[in-house]
Amino acid sequence: MSCLPTADKLRDLNERYLAFSEISPSLEEAQGYPPPFHFSAKDNLCAKGFQARAGSRILEGYRPPFDATPVAKLRAAGGVLLGKTNMDEFGFGTFCTNSGYGIPRNPFDLERACGGSSGGAAAAACMLDGHIALGVSTGGSISCPASFCGVFGLTPTYGRISRYGLIDYGNSLDKVGLLVRRSEDLRRFLPIISGADPKDPTSCAQPPLRLERKSIRTVAVPKQALQNLSPEVEEGFEHALGRLEEQGVEIMQVDMPSLRFALSAYYVLATSEASTNLARYCGMRFGVRGGSISQHYNDFFTEVRSEHFGREAKRRILLGTYARMVGYRDRYYMKALSVRQLVISEYQNVFGRSDLVLTPTMPFVAPRFSEIEKMRPLEAYQADFLTVPPNLAGLPHLSLPCGYADALPMGMQFVAPHWEEGRLLDMAESWSKGFQFRFPEVCR
Amino acid sequence: MDVDTVRNVARIARLRLSPEEERQFAQDLEEVLAYMAVLDEAPSGGEHDFNPVPVHDVLREDVEARDVDADGLRDSMDIYQDLVRGPRLS
Amino acid sequence: MKIGLEIHVQLPTRSKLFCSCATSAEEPNSSICPTCLGFPGSRPALNRRALEMGVQIAQYLNCQITPTIWFSRKTYFYPDLPKNFQITQYDSPLGTDGHFHSRGKRIGIWRVHLEEDPGRIKRVGKSGEEVSLIDYNRSGIPLVEIVTAPDMSSPDEARTFITEILVELRHIIGTTASDEQTVRVDANISVGEERVEVKNIQGMRHLERALKFEASRQAKMLEAGVKVVRETRRYDEERKVTLSAREKETEEDYGYIGEPDLGTFDLLKVASVLTTSETPLRMAQRLAGHYVVDFDKAKQIVITSMAMAELFERLAEKVDPELAMTWTLGPISSHWGSIEPRLTEKVIGDVVRVVSQVADREITDSEGRRRISAIAAGECPEDISCAVEDTLLDSLISQYLDEHPNVVKDYASNPKASNAVIGHVMKASKGKYNSQEIVEAVRKEIEKRL
Repeated sequence: MSCLPTADKLRDLNERYLAFSEISPSLEEAQGYPPPFHFSAKDNLCAKGFQARAGSRILEGYRPPFDATPVAKLRAAGGVLLGKTNMDEFGFGTFCTNSGYGIPRNPFDLERACGGSSGGAAAAACMLDGHIALGVSTGGSISCPASFCGVFGLTPTYGRISRYGLIDYGNSLDKVGLLVRRSEDLRRFLPIISGADPKDPTSCAQPPLRLERKSIRTVAVPKQALQNLSPEVEEGFEHALGRLEEQGVEIMQVDMPSLRFALSAYYVLATSEASTNLARYCGMRFGVRGGSISQHYNDFFTEVRSEHFGREAKRRILLGTYARMVGYRDRYYMKALSVRQLVISEYQNVFGRSDLVLTPTMPFVAPRFSEIEKMRPLEAYQADFLTVPPNLAGLPHLSLPCGYADALPMGMQFVAPHWEEGRLLDMAESWSKGFQFRFPEVCR
Repeated sequence: MDVDTVRNVARIARLRLSPEEERQFAQDLEEVLAYMAVLDEAPSGGEHDFNPVPVHDVLREDVEARDVDADGLRDSMDIYQDLVRGPRLS
Repeated sequence: MKIGLEIHVQLPTRSKLFCSCATSAEEPNSSICPTCLGFPGSRPALNRRALEMGVQIAQYLNCQITPTIWFSRKTYFYPDLPKNFQITQYDSPLGTDGHFHSRGKRIGIWRVHLEEDPGRIKRVGKSGEEVSLIDYNRSGIPLVEIVTAPDMSSPDEARTFITEILVELRHIIGTTASDEQTVRVDANISVGEERVEVKNIQGMRHLERALKFEASRQAKMLEAGVKVVRETRRYDEERKVTLSAREKETEEDYGYIGEPDLGTFDLLKVASVLTTSETPLRMAQRLAGHYVVDFDKAKQIVITSMAMAELFERLAEKVDPELAMTWTLGPISSHWGSIEPRLTEKVIGDVVRVVSQVADREITDSEGRRRISAIAAGECPEDISCAVEDTLLDSLISQYLDEHPNVVKDYASNPKASNAVIGHVMKASKGKYNSQEIVEAVRKEIEKRL
């Protein structure tokens, strides 16, 4: 059982690190009766008693009258919800710098980003021992911040965890997952938040969660994952491979040529779906209210949306709208659907020969905010090239801390076949044996 | 991806962009689409799987149920005489 | 003239298409939930009964059932559309390439599919400045859309077609009068070359008027040598005219994508367990063909009541179908309100017997009518007591008297002549009737023959 942080401590931490967009007003009460655990929810997960703004100004004031199913399950298990964590607007971002409410700072280095889009979740998991942070991944938004903040980031199979109460980015890509310090918390909490939920039909296709322990024998590393890496990550990854081999795991190199299409297909599908999901934000019914109702409805909608969506949101709406327009739809949207199936087949092929697929999580360690500002949008998208493939394919994956470069953490990412989360938990536990995890001063 | 296209797409998406934004987005999207041209080299087929895992025949029984109170929902909307107020139609 | 229709009919389910809200409500904005309001975080789940009803309709219309279907998002912005996209079926309808026979004419059915209704807008304010006030009770209501080929040649044909389809739907899925009032039609009508779409015609009342106006508008233009513009118009119910729909100025690009939240559905599996009994119009067509009676009269019967049609068929099996028709549309129909609740196999038998007796001239026309009234009142018609065994008593008596005609002659002078008959019947009926009954029945029959 972990100690509940005091409201004061949490607020102090948050002033420096901005992990939380909203902190529970009833923390003081909870002190009297220490709960079995404490957790947080990324701000795109609805929770009664809190706003759900998904990092966007257009949702200012939205107080959902229902709990997201994973939140409800953790509450039912006795957990206390400490607050909602900061994120890139609607999940649009790799560094959590597109938030409308606060840009979280990396607990290892205040000048560096946490990674996105579940940046606040990763920071909270890093800073608070025993904390269970609910994150959401669409293209790598759990893996990336887990890697930059030195924690475990588990993204289960698409459809393993109900998305009821999750504010949508991409309906065929979004997955709720966990960011935690300790591998045993993955095993403890994954079964609690998993399971079929009639309120989310896509969660009703899952086979039962099987977590019997088996040792991992072979791991495949695609050669496509070894390009465009920073020197620190290249070195750190090689070192980590060595440690795996010492632990008795066989590493085999494979060729996965379909991976070169994955990033493009992902951005087409994600933005296509997102541009329809975001159509509902128009100043009526919830969130920010529009200007004057004496305006024509097209002007009314256009004004609210233009004023309250951030830049990246607009960029993705434009890209996604374009990709499904008459004349472009076949070339982009339809083709991307095909590519997804291609990538899934290729992974299935590799899983015929190995238990897991392994790559570095990100091509570099947490960048400085000043470096991020200089990036072109395409550059930022391309930083996802390692996390996107399993996300596109809906495969369960885990980023775990595999090394440190100049005291900054880096992660490696294991991918398992659909529904085989058990293999990831086994790997997390065997890796943890004897590994020297490092956490920054603030966390003591 | 020229400025005119950006303007047209923005109109469809109900976004109003400043001339500066139009220029900037045109450039951003030009770069991104140039990269995405790699999709032209990929084969087609499998276009009607909209999910990465099979989701088949999930149906809900035709029963009335209420989880969330309608009052709570109405509170978040601009209500006038039980109706939701919205903008002009013409 | 060519007219094609897109008909939207509400499916009579208990809950909405994608959520469990009730389909009927008293107060505005009372049957609502996060899903049908499109609140962030909400999610759709497909109503099984709605899917089954849609498939039954597609089957009835002789469509090719699509083996695997999914749903799509049709994105456009309007205050009555909570998500600013509608979940519909774009490229995988329930069925395609069907047909329907209306008045002997074959109307092609291009497709049948499901979609959700948006909310209902009440416009407020002076024309040109209307603010919207919206009731979202209707948002998410399940609709079936039936799209026809442009095979109708007049507004009258179009009206007949819809009326007939609605009669059939009443039987197939149980649509009610109020569902029929909410029928919404988009019509494509071309008098000459150009096709004009008249959208959103609400209810049957306005349909024929709207089509007649538009047909006449186009005809006048063509006569004057003016080119008819291919466009979308709407019907103004107050002014009873069609108007150019200025609101949706430029063509919307709906940007269709698949709806991942719902997955796919195996329709052949759904279709294999669904059966529909014979529908009213099909029955009318069959009766008219088989019994060689007037189709309109047969249609009148089936529309009044399928049970009446079944009764007609029982009659037509025993007597001349024309006579059966006359009696069905005549005395039976006029007493139908009282007969229908009493309609058991026995009562059917009684009615059939009465009409048969009229046909055989055993009883007069007016006697027959009187007996039908008696049946309707729940009484036993004279000479037929309320048990099927009664025919035995009658036939025993009749048979003896036929064989011993002198009994009747003797009875005229001596009533005790009936004793012979009574004795015989008592023995032959083995105690089925009490002596009182037998005495009565014998006396009546003899006196009848006098």
